[in-house]
Amino acid sequence: MSFHFTLAETETSLRKVARACGLDWGLAEEAGKAARWLAAFDLPGPEFMLAHLQQLAGMDYREYIPDSSAKPWHASGGLLCPIITGAALADRSAQMLGGEVFSLGPTAYPLLLAATVGQAARCHQTVFTTAWAGVRVSCFGNGLSIAGDQDDLLLNRVDAVTCRQDSLSTPQRLPSTMAYTIDSKIVECINELAFKTYAPATAESRAGAGAGLTDND
Amino acid sequence: MRLTRMGSFHQTRLSFMRTLLRRLKQEQWQFKRNLWAINAQGFGRAVYTVYGPERVYSLVAFAHDLPDHMRSDRVIATAWDATFTLFDGIPNTADLDRLEQNVPKQEAGRISDSELSLSRANRSVRLWQHVVERLAAGQQPDRDQLEAVGYLVRTTAVYGSGKFGAADRLTIAERAEVSGPFQAEMLSVWLTRAFSIDLVEHIARAAGGAQAVGIDPQLRRHIGVGNSTGLGMAPFLINHPALLNNWMMAREEALARVRALPQAEPAAIADFKQHFERACFNVSQWHSEHPIQIEKLKSLRADLESMSSYIALEPLTEDHPWDRFYRWAEESLSLEGQEQLVSLLLEPYGELVDELAQCMDADEHLAFFIDGAMPVARLCEIVETRCQWALQVDYDQPENRARFWYTSAEKLEPRVGERFHEPGAEYELPLAVGCDIKLMYTALAPWKQERTIAEFLLVQPEHRHTVRRVQNLAARPYAEIQDNLIAADMLPIDILRCKLSFFGATRFDPRSDRWVRICMYQDAPFPHELLAAAP
Repeated sequence: MSFHFTLAETETSLRKVARACGLDWGLAEEAGKAARWLAAFDLPGPEFMLAHLQQLAGMDYREYIPDSSAKPWHASGGLLCPIITGAALADRSAQMLGGEVFSLGPTAYPLLLAATVGQAARCHQTVFTTAWAGVRVSCFGNGLSIAGDQDDLLLNRVDAVTCRQDSLSTPQRLPSTMAYTIDSKIVECINELAFKTYAPATAESRAGAGAGLTDND
Repeated sequence: MRLTRMGSFHQTRLSFMRTLLRRLKQEQWQFKRNLWAINAQGFGRAVYTVYGPERVYSLVAFAHDLPDHMRSDRVIATAWDATFTLFDGIPNTADLDRLEQNVPKQEAGRISDSELSLSRANRSVRLWQHVVERLAAGQQPDRDQLEAVGYLVRTTAVYGSGKFGAADRLTIAERAEVSGPFQAEMLSVWLTRAFSIDLVEHIARAAGGAQAVGIDPQLRRHIGVGNSTGLGMAPFLINHPALLNNWMMAREEALARVRALPQAEPAAIADFKQHFERACFNVSQWHSEHPIQIEKLKSLRADLESMSSYIALEPLTEDHPWDRFYRWAEESLSLEGQEQLVSLLLEPYGELVDELAQCMDADEHLAFFIDGAMPVARLCEIVETRCQWALQVDYDQPENRARFWYTSAEKLEPRVGERFHEPGAEYELPLAVGCDIKLMYTALAPWKQERTIAEFLLVQPEHRHTVRRVQNLAARPYAEIQDNLIAADMLPIDILRCKLSFFGATRFDPRSDRWVRICMYQDAPFPHELLAAAP
């Protein structure tokens, strides 16, 4: 059965899932934004993000930190996290504006990486292109272009990725604001994980939220 | 930007309800009740449509048979006297049938991209039956009773922006008429007010037959829509720093423009005095049983008397009269009185300040970006210049971190817990802004000044959220509430009042330190009166 997941719900829920799976709030915010951004182009951002975060749960963050002094960047645990690495690249977007091309080693879900880096495009009013296997994903301030082999878009791990500023002028696709259609079982799974960020009810929480006086007058 | 001041704000010309009604009047929007399928007991459905120059919106209302024992304003309620959605366009029968399956369930239902809001309301137990009985008997409601309550129905939640399946905020971001903050929600509440009058008169007619009367139009004006707001709303201002900044900037800029006026024209003085009288009347009608608000109202009444004396003694014709008045208020009045004056000073100057309402929206995406190239030294400098309020607090003292904000698993709503007396602190939300800023600042200390924030965050990702906030402060000075949001003496109602004042609410009546009842659209024109109303 399908479910219409609004973009706001996508962002909020995946942020919580990221938190539940061990990312700090700041990185969890990046995860939510990336999932939303992909969903706006009808790409499987929520599904990929869920799958990746489930793999991440319980792992040591340090294993995923890119060694940024190495070329290409790589993680001590063997596989770069697209959220952690994507955020690190977005933080270095000024270097990309200066012409630097970043090369990465083995990376999980490169589409998530492209979306995370791409969030910086709007602020710089530029285009950042992430490329892996036979595909290139270009994130505009408010649009997206995909070139090459579409099948490679959905790879869940690749051995090499590059990321750089681009000079494309017009995106192929503009984002939708409509709800993203997703398998309801995936949403159940997302909600279940998001729920782990909520505190179980206590007598204090029930008593504390409402009126001290009557609330029905 | 201290909580005590924010918790003393009053509605102004820039408040969102007033912005909405100004636009609707200017653009000569038309109104029509396109469906009224309500039975004699007052149950059924209705549709109110507003026609703007470019688009049409409809409030779809469902009126229910709610047993008295189920009536509760708490978010944990599961049934209401009436439920609503704002439909994007004019709904057909299939739309209405779909909505009837979902809207009455509120959070447990599901709406779609065609809907812009989801809300519900309960009848006022104090007033509803009285009005029905009086109207049915051919009499008007008791004026004192009506003014004491101020509304027939009280909304308990108005959801928008992609919640529960509703259209995403970006769907309406390019529509001038609803792109401003909360304009769709405010439209929904305004139409809800019209529905509440129609419903009470309909039930009275069904009960009283030929002898029943409608509410006198002058009396009707005093009926607004009530609202009960709890902790669910409080984190909004903390989670939307760019928006908060723009709301405050607009307000501050408006005040600065008026204070900068070298002279006050007689017409402006007369207008001010008229609004002052109205404020005095409003305050005379403003009641609260909460000890804090009782004291604040006492101060406000004294402040109004002081202001009255000031106006009588000062001709307001001297150089920069409004600035003088404001400076006097800073020295002489309580925060309630000072903020009341801010609201009053803007009243005569619509031409000068109303345009600022257009600056109150925000592109929040721009505030999300982290400048990783920023040197550590620069981030420390921002903290030192903008965040002394955070650095000055000793968070090792239990009273300075006595609280924690979390989301309740029971209703998926924010709550405040007592850190040292309740379980759940491990679920803390990132709303302890001041404490987090100090932690980040401390963590930055060992870093060489020329290292970049990108390098810092790669090693210490736990500060990413806070870096984002602090960098934001460089360009947005009003983005943060400059107070300790986890202090033992923090009052959530101060945050609620600030936000609700920007909505345009009046009659703030705290029911505890974390729950406030208010009135919306009281004395505002009804849809059919709008075109003839004062701006």
